[in-house]
Amino acid sequence: MLDFYRVQELFTEEERAVQQAARRFLEAEALPQIRTWWEAGTFPTHLIPKFGAMGFLGANLPAEYGAAGVSSAAYGLIMYELERIDSGLRSFASVQGALVMYPIFAYGSEEQKREFLPRLAAGELVGAFGLTEPDGGSDPGGNMKTRAHRDGDHWVLNGTKMWITNGSIADLAIVWAKDEAGVVRGFIVPTDTPGFSAPEIKSKMSLRASVTSELVLEEVRVPDALRLPGAEGLKAPLSCLTQARYGIAWGVLGALEAVYTEARDFALSRRTFGEPLAKKQLVQAKLAGMLADHTKGLLLVWRLARLKDAGKLHHTQVSLAKRDNTYAALKAARLARDLLGANGITLEYHAIRHMLNLETVYTYEGTHDVHTLILGREITGLAAF
Amino acid sequence: MKFVAIIRQVPDGEAKLREEGGRIDLSGATMILDQMDEYAVEEILQLKEKHGGEAVIVAFGPERTKEAIRTALAMGADRAVFVKHEGDADPITEAKALAKVLAEEAPTVVFTGGQQADWDSYALGPAVAEALGWPSVAWTTAFELEDETQATAQHDLDEGAQRVRVRLPAVLTTQQGLNEPRYPTLPGIMKAKKKEIKEIPAEELGVTGTKVEILSQAIVKIERKQKILDGTKEPEKAAEELVRLLHEEAKVI
Repeated sequence: MLDFYRVQELFTEEERAVQQAARRFLEAEALPQIRTWWEAGTFPTHLIPKFGAMGFLGANLPAEYGAAGVSSAAYGLIMYELERIDSGLRSFASVQGALVMYPIFAYGSEEQKREFLPRLAAGELVGAFGLTEPDGGSDPGGNMKTRAHRDGDHWVLNGTKMWITNGSIADLAIVWAKDEAGVVRGFIVPTDTPGFSAPEIKSKMSLRASVTSELVLEEVRVPDALRLPGAEGLKAPLSCLTQARYGIAWGVLGALEAVYTEARDFALSRRTFGEPLAKKQLVQAKLAGMLADHTKGLLLVWRLARLKDAGKLHHTQVSLAKRDNTYAALKAARLARDLLGANGITLEYHAIRHMLNLETVYTYEGTHDVHTLILGREITGLAAF
Repeated sequence: MKFVAIIRQVPDGEAKLREEGGRIDLSGATMILDQMDEYAVEEILQLKEKHGGEAVIVAFGPERTKEAIRTALAMGADRAVFVKHEGDADPITEAKALAKVLAEEAPTVVFTGGQQADWDSYALGPAVAEALGWPSVAWTTAFELEDETQATAQHDLDEGAQRVRVRLPAVLTTQQGLNEPRYPTLPGIMKAKKKEIKEIPAEELGVTGTKVEILSQAIVKIERKQKILDGTKEPEKAAEELVRLLHEEAKVI
């Protein structure tokens, strides 16, 4: 991997082995066809059980629930390698691991953990996470119109969720809804429950190798045994987002490596005015900026991983890394697209695919601006949302 | 039954190697399990899955070789014996040390890479067989265990193939096509941490130095000649010169 400051020496031998294993698998199984999947607008569902067998899904959760039980850095390196191929692949794994397996692990009953986690880890079941609604994502508490009312030993859910990754291919969805008292609660909703539908959102110009859907719940009856007993209030889904954002902070650096490497190789081989493009000062300045951002970003997430494993991680620290690394990757992808000239507008090269994907990553899982305001509140004590 | 794969750690073919003072500097290079040895590991794993018994890794090299051993253990091997040796060693010296380990392990069959990505010598497998007085089959593309005393194998030639029957124990070297090596998985990597790696200093096996000393190493540099003929003034002469160069120097027409 691209590693200007030899950060790999700060990883354990096992973490390095995970990175190598992931890269090797993905270069063989995903890289050669990613362009085709992206252009066709399909997610490669045949990879799901392979991701499971490799141990990519919810990899940081304990082995007793069928997960790989690796460290936070190893988990981050998997996200890095997935997104080096495509943000859509990383989004799939982020949702399955951080937004579906994690809430079941953190807020589920022992029975729920035993029933669902091993099958989710193996890729036998696919999950989705329904928090965002059509009226806006940055204010999930205020905008939440999805309601759950108790009916004997069941709950009846009504509402609509929007921009839901994996929605149309999911076997179960973690749906967040307000109860009659206005308290946010989480439910494991099997997607074959009557009243549940998940139409796919088409015509996306970003994350095309990823399924994005709307979730429609009309009088969906879920037994109380499928309510996450430990989740009460908005804090529960927000804690899941912290997990996912942690993975994004790692993942986008993989995309940055991909576009940087491509731009550098192109600039070295392309000749203009009788010499390599790479000999131009403007080109070198762009490449130097990309390398500097990657180097700083990698040190950031390495430290974040160690804080996470030590139980010292604060969500505002994750906000900073998600915000800065994503913006760095997006800027790098735009510059790489620029350096490639006309070649950069085709899918023959990776730059524009990553660039378009990263436009989504920039505004999902907390927009860049919302993370800025989270930091602003942390600095001043004053909320400016 | 016991199946052994001899492995080594080599620089990744895609790693950027640096030349420093006439030697290759490996400190910044990604080091991997030799891909030819990977076929050996896969083969003994399949043999174990089919016939039962034990899949054992035997490795030779400096301390960092343990990473390659862990990869083989992550693929599914049971345990490893590691002959630790810092510095250079020629294949014959390595083979003699490895033979002592193998004599003690008494395996049914041994596999190793058909060639070594770092030295490209092809010698290790046959030299191990020679040191033990065991038969050797090189460049194997298929292997079938008949019983504990004999096996059949396909051996690739430049323009064909031979099927052979070999008495066991024997040392076979691998060729692409023998199998499709599995990926080390994350659960495999986690399990590998707990598997035994028995370490033996090479001196204890009689290694005192290398019989072939490396004086210097160089990396092949491929550079274009960037020869450009100016055709703007005398195009006919330039065309003749182009034909001459293509005929006499490039020898393509």
